[in-house]
Order: sequence, then structure tokens, then C-alpha cells
Amino acid sequence: MDIVRQAHLAPIDYVVMAVYFAAVLAVGWLLRRLMRTSTDFFLSGRSLPPWVTGLAFISANLGAQEVLGMGASGAKYGIATSHFYWVGAIPAMVFVGLFMMPFYYGSRARSVPEYLKLRFDEKTRTLNAVSFAVMTVFSSGISMYALGKLLNLLLGWSFDASIFVSAIIVLAYILLGGLTSAIYNEVLQFFLIVFGFLPLVFLGLVAVGGWSGLSAQLSQLSTARGFPADAYTHAWRTMGSASQNPVGVEWFGLVMGLGFVLSFGYWCTDFLVVQRAMAAESMTAARRTPLIAALPKMFFPFLVILPGMIALVIGGSHGIGQGLIPAKLTAAGTPLLDGSGHTVLDYDLATPMLLMRLFPTGMLGLGLTALLASFMSGMAGNVTAFNTVWTYDIYQAHIRKGASDAHYLWMGRAATVAGIVLAIAAAYVASAFNNIMDMLQLVFAFVNAPLFATFFLGMFWRRTTGHGAFTGLLCGTLGAAIHHGLTLPAGASVGIKGGYLGVIHTYPSELAQTFWTAITAWTTCTVITILVSIVTRPRPDDELRGLVYALTPRPRDTERKFWQRPMTLGMTVLVMTFLLNFVFF
Amino acid sequence: MSGDASLDLRLPIGGLFSVLGLVIGAYGIATNGSPIYETSLSININLWWGLVMLIVGLIMLAMGMRATRRHHPSAPVTAAESPMGRETERREHATGLER
Repeated sequence: MDIVRQAHLAPIDYVVMAVYFAAVLAVGWLLRRLMRTSTDFFLSGRSLPPWVTGLAFISANLGAQEVLGMGASGAKYGIATSHFYWVGAIPAMVFVGLFMMPFYYGSRARSVPEYLKLRFDEKTRTLNAVSFAVMTVFSSGISMYALGKLLNLLLGWSFDASIFVSAIIVLAYILLGGLTSAIYNEVLQFFLIVFGFLPLVFLGLVAVGGWSGLSAQLSQLSTARGFPADAYTHAWRTMGSASQNPVGVEWFGLVMGLGFVLSFGYWCTDFLVVQRAMAAESMTAARRTPLIAALPKMFFPFLVILPGMIALVIGGSHGIGQGLIPAKLTAAGTPLLDGSGHTVLDYDLATPMLLMRLFPTGMLGLGLTALLASFMSGMAGNVTAFNTVWTYDIYQAHIRKGASDAHYLWMGRAATVAGIVLAIAAAYVASAFNNIMDMLQLVFAFVNAPLFATFFLGMFWRRTTGHGAFTGLLCGTLGAAIHHGLTLPAGASVGIKGGYLGVIHTYPSELAQTFWTAITAWTTCTVITILVSIVTRPRPDDELRGLVYALTPRPRDTERKFWQRPMTLGMTVLVMTFLLNFVFF
Repeated sequence: MSGDASLDLRLPIGGLFSVLGLVIGAYGIATNGSPIYETSLSININLWWGLVMLIVGLIMLAMGMRATRRHHPSAPVTAAESPMGRETERREHATGLER
């Protein structure tokens, strides 16, 4: 049964795509002469203005999986998906800018793992560097696989061709212009994503009768699914108990698990985003990077979540499903049913289906180009973070110390090629064994969950030792695995979803389980790090200057106009986020 | 200033959106009244959005050219020419990270 109607692109759509490809390659070409040393290639010569690094900061995170995934979650959970932004991103972005950037940037570390080396020791750095490098390769492989499959489904393009063409373009512009080229193109891609999706949201809202029309239709749907009428259109009102909202999480798990552990763990420690701030021209510019990023970030829910919600209620579909969202099919081609006999929807198709439903030839080319741009920005982010961590934290630290700068520059280019080849290989592994990828993502979640505890203690408690940090990280990961192994989301069967050590607790949803796994990992890591630190010998204060809060002079921003100061900017961002939460309460 | 090697980011972004705006807008004019706009609620979205992109593109281009002419482009330079870049490289040498 043909459940998704394929679109046929006209020549004009291909012209739009070609213009975009030409632009990103031209940027790489024009920047090639700036790549003289490894510092140019990996850190943009530390010369970029904050608005550029700030927009790249969010764009590197705005991969295809984010654009499609947030649309999917919008259709699944409604406006409550905005918690991933207003709770799960903005506060952490403000924190990293105001309080952590002075140590990352001020320590002159060239990467996040290198900060761990300066603050703790070689083994903590290596643990972080290796897990991070593996993770970047696999996550760009996974998103490459998702893109290839999507383009094949929507446009009938060959899976191989989609993957290779986009990979080669990304490879070319990074080889030419290094991190500067990746960052420049990320900003360009940011604008393209905004300009591709804004008219989609506009047309979508017009089609469903504006926000009031959308709310009215969603409240019917909400009641039909057994939730209070406002569960899809209000972010907080139904968060009191897990059974009252489609997310299946109560407010405490949400705020602690997502808002604190997961969000701070990602935005404050992930080199993929922090690298953008490290490329900034000065300390103030580095601190303003995540704060400038937070300004557009807080409005992204309207850009990426609304399309999913609109796709749920808009008419014009011709198959089995809900709104424009088709049903998932079984191998036999019949709609897939869940345990209670309801059709399972293929939520990941929500945003692309809306694109194809509302955009005529011409704009359709622009919309698809925006999707490609989001994929490329995510991939370039992963690749530039990978080549830096590989060259500085693995190759220079363990394989070849003290070589010439030209050698490390060469190694950076070689690592770019290797990273992309490995990511392509990972994409094919993903297409052959889907379960392996699920398992890897699970392991990454275990590795990431305790990270913020280590950085937080390292930066704000000078007594923390290298042995403490290392043991804490390992125990935190183990704690996450044990918690996951002992619990199960409702309706799931024992296996990849958990319960492999015996089920002692059942969570109302998978997200609730994820959040509590993270809370467990963070708590374990904090407790173990403190205990081990107390019984091991701390480093003398002299060695920790510029690396911990108590021994570092406060950064002074008095030379800037008051509205340009990081503190003013941070507070503005927080107040605006609070207001948004209030409006959609 | 690194002279010819540097590139204000607003120039390529402005260039891209001006060209996209022209191409999509012109297509919108050519197809005005065509049944392809049934999908977009009878709005000639190609024409209107093409115009918006053209205007944004031209503004970006103007800002980028003005800054470049005044020799204050917000553009990257090599590490050797930026104070923080020099300091980073000095530290690399001092700690023996290379040669």
C-alpha cells in the first residue's frame, strides 16, 4: 500500500538547491587562505565576532534530527515539547555563558577534554575524548541514515546518492576552510532553515484557522485520547501528574531530569557546541556566544514544533493515520497496531508531510534545501568537533607528541576525511542493523548523563581530584546502566527498553525513565566524586589558577555598554523565557 | 586587518538570499494564477517570499559592503593576526605541544 505520496520536483526546485550548494562551497573556497596553522583550522584563529559564533552555536545543534524530531514530538506531545527549549536549553545556555565560559576560554584549553586534562589528569581527559569522538562519528552516521531514508521515501532519490553528495559537500568545505568555514556555513544554514520554515508555519496556521483554530481542534483530539482538553496547547497546566499529559512525565522529573541533568550536561560540556564559543575573538565574545544563541533559540518552538502540531489536525491526507501523519506499516504492508489496538503513527514524517502539503513548486525546493541545510550543519558540527578532539586530545596526547604545527594541520585534514568516511560506514551499519544503533545511543546516554557533575564539581570545588572525577564518571555511567536495567516504561517489553536486570519499577513513559536514569547517574557521579576526592590528595592551589572558581579573578565587563554585558544579556534571556512559559502555561 | 583574505559573513549570506529571492520571486511572477498555488491556499507564496528574501539579502549585502569599505568587517583573520590566537599559539609553544 502506498501510504506516502512522492513529490515530483520541477527544474526550479533543483535550481534552488544548486544555488545553496554553490554558496556553501564558495564560502569554503574564499576562506581557504586563512588556514595557515592548526589554530586557524581548529579554532578559527580565535578571531570570530560573537554574533557569528552565537548563531553557529545553535545551528551546529540544529541538525536534521532536531528539526524532524521536534516536529515529531510536537505531534506526539503538543506544545509541551517546548520544555526541551524553555526548560531543557535556555537556563543551561545562560549558565555556561555566565559561569563556565571563563574557565573554558580563560584556561586557553583548545578543547573540552583538554580542559579536563588541565584541571584533573590525563586519564579523565582520555576517557572523555574517546567517548566523545566515537559518539560524534556515530551520531552523524545515524542522522545521515535518517536523511537518506527520508529523501528516498519523499522524493524517490537513491539512498547512496543522497548520502554521498551531502557528505562530499561537507567534506569539501571543511577541508578548504576548517572550523571557520564550518561556522560560516552554519550561520548561513541557520538563516536558510529560518527562511525555509517560517512560511511553512505561516501557511499552516492560516490553513487551520490560526492559533485558536489549532487549539480548538487539538483539544478535541486531546479529549479523544483521554487527556484534559488543554493538554496539547498548554505547557505546564497538565504537568502535575504523569497520567494527565501526553509526555507522561510529572513536573519534578521534568525539571530535574531534563532541565538540570540532561540539559546542563549537553549545553555546558559538549564540545560540539562549546567549540563555537572557543573560536570567539575575546573572553567577552566567548561568554556572549551562548547568550546570543539563546535569543533565537527561545523562539524555535514556533518554528520546529508548530509544524508537527499543525500536521496532526490539518486536512488533505489520503491514507490511514491522523491528519497528515501516516501510520507505520508492518512488514506485510498493513498499519501497525500497538498493544491496545490503536494505529501507531510515523511521527517523524509530520514536518516533511506538511512541507509537501503546503509548498508549491519553487518553495518546495527551498523547504527541502532548508532540511538539507539542517542536516549539513549538524554533520559539519560533528566533524569539526571530531577532528579537533582526535588531533589534540588523542593523537597529540598519546600517539605523536611534539611534532611540527604543519604536521598537526595535516592530521586535522586527514581526520576530517576519516571522520566522514567512518560516519558513512556508520550510516550503512545503521541501515543494516537498526538495533545496534538503538543500543549505541543508549550507551551514549549512559556516558553523557554524569558529565555535568564532573565539570560542576571541577569548576566550583577546588578540592575535587583527578581520581575522584575519573571514578565518579565511571560510576555515574554504571549507575545509569543499572537504573535503566531495573526499570521499564509502561507497555514496553524487557530488552533494549530496560528491565534486563529485573523490573523493580515501571515508569509511565519512556521519557520519564530517561529523565530518572539521568538523575540517578548525576547523583551517583556527584556522591562518588566527592567521596573519592576526600580520600585522595588534591592538587596545590598554584596549579589550579584560572581553572576553578575560587582561584580565578571574576571577568570584568565594564568596558562594554551595559546592554552588551554578558550579565545583562543573560538576565534578559531568562526574563523573556519566563514570560514565554507564562504565556503558554 | 588581513586585507584580501578576510570575508565579512554578511556578504555570502546576502548574496545567497538575493539570488534565491530573485529566482523564486521571478518564478512566482511567471506562474502567477497557476493551479500550483492551490496547495498554498491560493497565496502566491513564491512571489511574496521571494520578495522578502530579496529585501533581506540586499540589506545584508549593503551592511557587509559598508563595513568592508570602512575596513571594519566582522571577519575572521589568521591566528597570527588576532590577539587571542597569538596567545594560544604562544602557549602551545611554551608547553611544548609542538616542536
